[in-house]
Amino acid sequence: MKFVVLSILAAAALVAQSSEPADVLPDQPQATDLNINSRYTVESISFVGQHQYRLSTAARDEMHRLIGAKLSTEALNRLARRIRGELRATEVTFKLMRGGEANHVKVLLDVDNRRSNFDLSIPTFSYNSRQGWTGVAEAATTISGNTFTAGVVSDGDTLAERYTGFKLRYDRLSLGTDRIRLGFEFDSYHELYDRATLVALDNGASSSLGAGAYRSRTNFEPSATFVLAKPLTLTLGLSFEELAPQVSAARSESANVVVNTLRYHQSWEDSDANNQELDAGYNLRAATNLLSSDLAYTRHLLNVRYKFRHQQQSVEVTLMAGVIYGNAPLFERFILGDSTTLRGWNKYDLDPLGGNRVVHGSVTYGYHIMRVFYDAGSVWDQGKSPEAKHSTGIGISSGLGISQKGAFLLAVAFPIRQGRADPVFIAGMNY
Amino acid sequence: MSVSSEELVLRRAGDRIRVNAPRLHFLTGKSLIRLHDGAIVPFDFQLSIAAGSKTNVVQRAFERFTVSYDVWEEKFSVVRLRDFRKSASNLTANAAETWCLENLLAPASALGDRELWARLEVRSAEPKERSSFPYSDPGISITTLIGIFSRPPRPAQDHWAFDSAAFHLADLKP
Repeated sequence: MKFVVLSILAAAALVAQSSEPADVLPDQPQATDLNINSRYTVESISFVGQHQYRLSTAARDEMHRLIGAKLSTEALNRLARRIRGELRATEVTFKLMRGGEANHVKVLLDVDNRRSNFDLSIPTFSYNSRQGWTGVAEAATTISGNTFTAGVVSDGDTLAERYTGFKLRYDRLSLGTDRIRLGFEFDSYHELYDRATLVALDNGASSSLGAGAYRSRTNFEPSATFVLAKPLTLTLGLSFEELAPQVSAARSESANVVVNTLRYHQSWEDSDANNQELDAGYNLRAATNLLSSDLAYTRHLLNVRYKFRHQQQSVEVTLMAGVIYGNAPLFERFILGDSTTLRGWNKYDLDPLGGNRVVHGSVTYGYHIMRVFYDAGSVWDQGKSPEAKHSTGIGISSGLGISQKGAFLLAVAFPIRQGRADPVFIAGMNY
Repeated sequence: MSVSSEELVLRRAGDRIRVNAPRLHFLTGKSLIRLHDGAIVPFDFQLSIAAGSKTNVVQRAFERFTVSYDVWEEKFSVVRLRDFRKSASNLTANAAETWCLENLLAPASALGDRELWARLEVRSAEPKERSSFPYSDPGISITTLIGIFSRPPRPAQDHWAFDSAAFHLADLKP
């Protein structure tokens, strides 16, 4: 598995390098630049209003390379796109002015950072014809670098149980430096269980389960995110989770964990209209007695997603691998057979309690709005043999812009098994 | 005689038809601001000829012209795209607009001696298209231009349309 992941990362890096010749020769004179000002030499590049922005070394190098060269509209637009991405600005445009010397021009970059400071969104919305609805709605407001988010959740998709409730979150977007962010989250959920899960719990189907069914859970989670080297971030935090028992006479149990998340997210766009996106993450949750946790366990999860898009065609590959040591509660256990993994399978048929080992991979090919996907994976408990499952499906998907934000998917998925074809209808947004 | 309504004047140029639109001024507004900022702005032109009735279009001509503004000379430059390149520089705004029309020619063959109408449409390129515009590659296919004019203009697009009075080919002056 490690070799597969490393190979994909290396291949993605190589493809990204080879698809960005502009970084090597951004100021190469264009023989046929349509802008009459291309005959002039760039004297300087600065920001409107003498603003100073924190840019990457690569962006600053690109600016320096353009100065002293003949003006290239294409190179300036590429620089503007890069800066827009780095500053997360709404738009970056350039203006030309006469330079101090004859036949020289000054370039002024105008960064439009206008953003709404109040946002209503539905980060997740899905329907599975076997497992029902899942939805998350959030309201967020940003005041002077502080973001306050409130959300309501009813999720029957991502865990072995359905959890319904609310979450409140505060984020400090910078702490003296843009490289450090702070966050505090409070969640309160009420749990509902499928009959298959309750039966499995009664039968003691998993000896590695850390707690039985709980009626509700609350979570308080402070965290700090450090930008190690863009786009690599490390999040360190603590999660204090309390599980209220089904029977009020019993005592609550706590799952207090140290949370570490290492995340790499990069996207590239080249002049041939090729778009690539790589998202890789490693998450570690370790429950320890040092935090007065009743449960002790360690949970490792690795995720990789790579997407390549050229004009109307796209290919997306996702990989996931996870392992839990110790006795983790239900909400920490891995499941497959939801709206993004082993689509078409019923998660309660695969394992109604989830497992402490998981491996999953998926390939999706897209042409225009058509999507065809193939999923394969296995979820199991330590000491048992993993059994690989496969599924496939076809659907339509569309979204907004290159990043496909707001993307929706309508699909029919089939578990691949002998005997019968049992299609499942899936609809959702923001996968 | 030349045929003209209040808006569109037509002339014969050999076996082709040429137009003039005295009231057409597309180097204005946001497009002009962007030009003064040193950007290039593409404009798409369609000249259609209808025969028998105003809706029976029998000939079309499409062109894309990209305009830029020399920040030192304070003059406009225009490049005609598609099959081959033709350009002019050191132009005033009016001269640049006229140059575009002079280089938009519709075939006059096969029009016969029927009653004819002409329609000129001009659009600035869509903002979305501008961001991916090939600044160094002038290639644009006629299919692309047909596609552009087959849909209504977007709200963010500047657009103009002018109609001629009814005319006969034989009545057009060179």
